[in-house]
Amino acid sequence: MPMHVLVVEDDDRIRAVLRLALEDEGYQVAEAADTPSALEAVRSALPDLMMVDLMLGEVDGYTCIREVRRVSDIPIVIVSARSDTHDIVAGLEAGADDYVTKPFQVKEITARIRALRRRLRGSAEATEPDIVLDSDPARALVLSTSRGAVMLDGRDVPLTVTEYRLLAELAHPPGRVLSRPSLLEKVWEHGYYGDERIVDVHIRRLRTKIERDPGRPQVVVTVRGMGYRLDPQ
Amino acid sequence: MRRGRRTFGLRHRLVAAFSLVALLVSAVFAISTYLLARGYLLAQRERVVQHQSFADAVFVQRRLESAGADVSAVLTAAGTPAGHTIILRWHDQWYASALDQGRDAVPASVQQEIAAGRSVSQRFRSADGPALVIGVPVRTAEAEFYEIAPLTELDGTVRLLSGILLGGALLATAAGAALGVWASRSVVTPLNRVAITAASIAGGDLDRRLAATDDPELATIVGSFNSMVDTLHQRITRDARMAADVSHELRSPLTTLVGSVDLLNARRDELPERSRKALDLVTADLQRFRRLLDDLLELARSDAGLDQRPNTVIDLGGLLRQVLGEAGAGPPAFPDGDDVFVAADKSRLGRLFRNLFDNANTHGCGLTGVTVTRSGDDVLVLVDDSGPGIRPEDRESVFERFATGAAKRGSSSGTGLGLALVAEMAAAHDGAVWCTASPGGGARFVVRLPEAERES
Repeated sequence: MPMHVLVVEDDDRIRAVLRLALEDEGYQVAEAADTPSALEAVRSALPDLMMVDLMLGEVDGYTCIREVRRVSDIPIVIVSARSDTHDIVAGLEAGADDYVTKPFQVKEITARIRALRRRLRGSAEATEPDIVLDSDPARALVLSTSRGAVMLDGRDVPLTVTEYRLLAELAHPPGRVLSRPSLLEKVWEHGYYGDERIVDVHIRRLRTKIERDPGRPQVVVTVRGMGYRLDPQ
Repeated sequence: MRRGRRTFGLRHRLVAAFSLVALLVSAVFAISTYLLARGYLLAQRERVVQHQSFADAVFVQRRLESAGADVSAVLTAAGTPAGHTIILRWHDQWYASALDQGRDAVPASVQQEIAAGRSVSQRFRSADGPALVIGVPVRTAEAEFYEIAPLTELDGTVRLLSGILLGGALLATAAGAALGVWASRSVVTPLNRVAITAASIAGGDLDRRLAATDDPELATIVGSFNSMVDTLHQRITRDARMAADVSHELRSPLTTLVGSVDLLNARRDELPERSRKALDLVTADLQRFRRLLDDLLELARSDAGLDQRPNTVIDLGGLLRQVLGEAGAGPPAFPDGDDVFVAADKSRLGRLFRNLFDNANTHGCGLTGVTVTRSGDDVLVLVDDSGPGIRPEDRESVFERFATGAAKRGSSSGTGLGLALVAEMAAAHDGAVWCTASPGGGARFVVRLPEAERES
């Protein structure tokens, strides 16, 4: 079954060329020019992945990302003409998984999509035993690799694919320090120049979902100057 | 240098003006005081001596009129005050109350006046110093009476007075000079503060402002200065934003172009020969356009001060290998530097070296060596090429934007901004870049970066 990509972009020509390029790669493409039609397309077309421009006429891309995040945990890739770090970080914090800056080459886009797709498949095929992240009976936190989910008190925590991959990467095996560049390489498949703040933003988001006190994280801890480590409690 | 000399001049002029005014005022006061005091003292002394002389003259006259007078006894009996000398001419004979005085002691002009029958009071300089002579013609006794009184004591007093006044005038002048120094300092110090602030603003610290002051006159200057800097800052930011915005606006059509050309290239086998050639031209120039836009945007960002400080500690060897690998040709001389760390923005530092290697390959007939060495607290990266080298007079201008040597028209590569960007990026990393001659004959670009501690 071909992968279904939703392109949210207010520039008709860029949308057209993205459609051509993605269809060449064998993807099925849906288009939306603004936030309401993007939300509609997310509900009706059930895309596997969304690409969204940060400047979308009246309602900006951040709002669009937040709205979509409320109803779906599909991977979201920002396509931005602004490479200012401020905009990128704001987009990631709104819930996006990754970003590319204009003008991009088609192969950059397809590489990002392939990496995200591998993440989806990777999580479905693993068959390792569950890993207990927090044994406190009041809020038991379990990473179930076989189900590709994280459970808090027996209920699934709504993690995005990227957040899940990040946690799974840190958990195999737990207690090992992973540097930002190596996490970028493993989870996002970014090259040498990858933006390490992507890692930081996702770690922050992951913590708000699984830590008891996100301000003083105990499960996913920062190792100063080195990277991150998973400490099962 | 010039500014330094000008402040110096103002300060000196102020000190000179204050001293001169003090000198003039104190001199006028001193001189008039001296003249008045001296005149008064002399007049008083003269009056006293005159009284005495006339009394003596009357006494002598009475004695001489009585017959058979002994002149010497008369002069002795006159009882003149100490120091006074009476000289008497009687019957063409000269008598004096002191042994060492005589006719010669009386100035000739005085004798003439007396001979003409007029009384005289005159100051003159005797052999013992300044003196006063009173001459009285004593007609009834056919005698000429002279009394000489010394003025040495008075002269000493006047001298002392003039000394005191001169000293006072000098003191007043010195005080004026000191006041001038103080006044000039209070004028020059705020000026210097303005100068220092202006210099640091010119040096790029656009957030620098003059501190507020309570002094109403200074407050005006400080206010105008700060608002001028505010306006300049706004204008610079606006210009830089403009460049950044234009570049951003150009990105959307460029995205469509890049995407479409990619699609065409994916299907180049389906194209006829001539179309393929045209496509190659478009592809090459689109690549160049894209790089030009990236360079412009990067420069605009750096001009606007939008870039964050480099804050990731990376190993220089890894970065250089990465960039050399991307350049395609592979490392011509394997760089060291695996144990050398720098605080960097990875993508911008990578771009710095990419631009230098591109420059070596397009204008320098190929990269021949990349060497990493340490120099004190800094790291030097030497990039050599085998080209004709760069003439000493051009070694600074190659780093200017659209420098003529760097952007040859018609050349398929080079944006004219590459080396300008190298200089900006080096400065953004607290480093520098310069150009010398390579020992191998080509050009050598040296990048200096401060070495960083490895994070642990």
